[in-house]
Amino acid sequence: MVEAVAVASGKGGTGKTTTLALGMALAEEHDVTVVDADTGMANLLFHAGLGDADTTLHDVLLGEAPVAAATYDRFGMRVVPCGTSLAAFEAADPERLREAVATLARGTDVLLLDSPATLGSKSAVLPVVLADRTVVVLEPTIPALSDGLKVGEYAAAYGTDVAGVLFNKVRGDADAVVEKTGRYFDGPTLGQVPASEPAREARRAGEPLLAHAPDSSAARAFRSAAGRLDPKPGAAARVADRFRSAVIPDPP
Amino acid sequence: MSDPPGDGPRLPRGELLRSRVVPDPGDLLEDALDRRLTGYATVVPGDALLLDVRGRGLLTFADGVPVVAYHERTGRGGESALADLVRAPWRVELLACGASGLAEAHDVAAWRVPPGVPAERLAGVPELAERTRRLAPDCRTDPDAGDLGAVEAFLDDTERIERVKTEARAEAERRAEEWGFSDQVTE
Repeated sequence: MVEAVAVASGKGGTGKTTTLALGMALAEEHDVTVVDADTGMANLLFHAGLGDADTTLHDVLLGEAPVAAATYDRFGMRVVPCGTSLAAFEAADPERLREAVATLARGTDVLLLDSPATLGSKSAVLPVVLADRTVVVLEPTIPALSDGLKVGEYAAAYGTDVAGVLFNKVRGDADAVVEKTGRYFDGPTLGQVPASEPAREARRAGEPLLAHAPDSSAARAFRSAAGRLDPKPGAAARVADRFRSAVIPDPP
Repeated sequence: MSDPPGDGPRLPRGELLRSRVVPDPGDLLEDALDRRLTGYATVVPGDALLLDVRGRGLLTFADGVPVVAYHERTGRGGESALADLVRAPWRVELLACGASGLAEAHDVAAWRVPPGVPAERLAGVPELAERTRRLAPDCRTDPDAGDLGAVEAFLDDTERIERVKTEARAEAERRAEEWGFSDQVTE
């Protein structure tokens, strides 16, 4: 039983660090698997002498490895690097993709999908299409809000609920902005993560915030937001079917 | 500081340095900062002719640092005027002039914007905002000052936000066909 959750942010956002922070916070209560289609995130997950991932989902879809060989334990989560963009799986065998995702989904509570900070390509939008719900990550700037509103509309168009909005890099009192933003989204406000020195240090060190400064105010805000997410596990087969039909469309 | 005259800032003709369409406000702000421009920029949306949008946005600079924002269409000044400049791409003219020609506009408190706010909140480029704040005179930097006025003004414009959402929804539906998501589209 699983819920697929996409994490999508506006232009210039900090997509990968936010996805990791939310994932690690969720992993304190739930079994979390991150499907990583972002090479930037791979850098964060596989640095510090752990070496690059030898086997990826790409190898699994070529029939060269079992799913278990492409699954890595990192920071309390399971991580499945794609080895390529999600859209590149279009060329895969549909049944093999379906089976691989079903295998991943059967053993986890939350399948976390990182969405690149753009809506400009099929690869970037796929996580939102594949997810049951999307967390929209915002910063209190006009372009980030504008893009976040667009993410919300893309999600609605593709039948994906908004799990909530999460404000990141907040300085000072942003309550009025947060309250006004909430009027334009269907989901709740999950929280405000302050712009803080520990968060900047974690970025400079190339480490996930919750590993670098687990007691910082920013880390606590991520935990509180994750607590409000309340995963609602559904059937693994349904998530697998969605991957199969969205990643590999039937020929017209 | 004086009260704002009703007809907006009176600015000198200035020397035209650059006239072009830029995709993003950050481009203009960085150019003005790199030139240490004393002068002003006039801004109209790139699609103004198509949309019959009237009036220019004005942004003045002292040594590259933004000082005053004003929009002729809405008659708003200060951070609210930044929200009136949102629609990209921008058709921009960058003009240099003497500081004395800007003094009257710069004296209107209601039109002034904190130095880093255009880069931080309108362009969403915090690094450029930080560079701008470093170059601003000490008397213009107040770390405790609120700087979300432009963002709030953007969120207060319900009509424009509904337009952003409607356009995004139509774009998502159009691309669904292109990307093979037609099965996922909900009515």
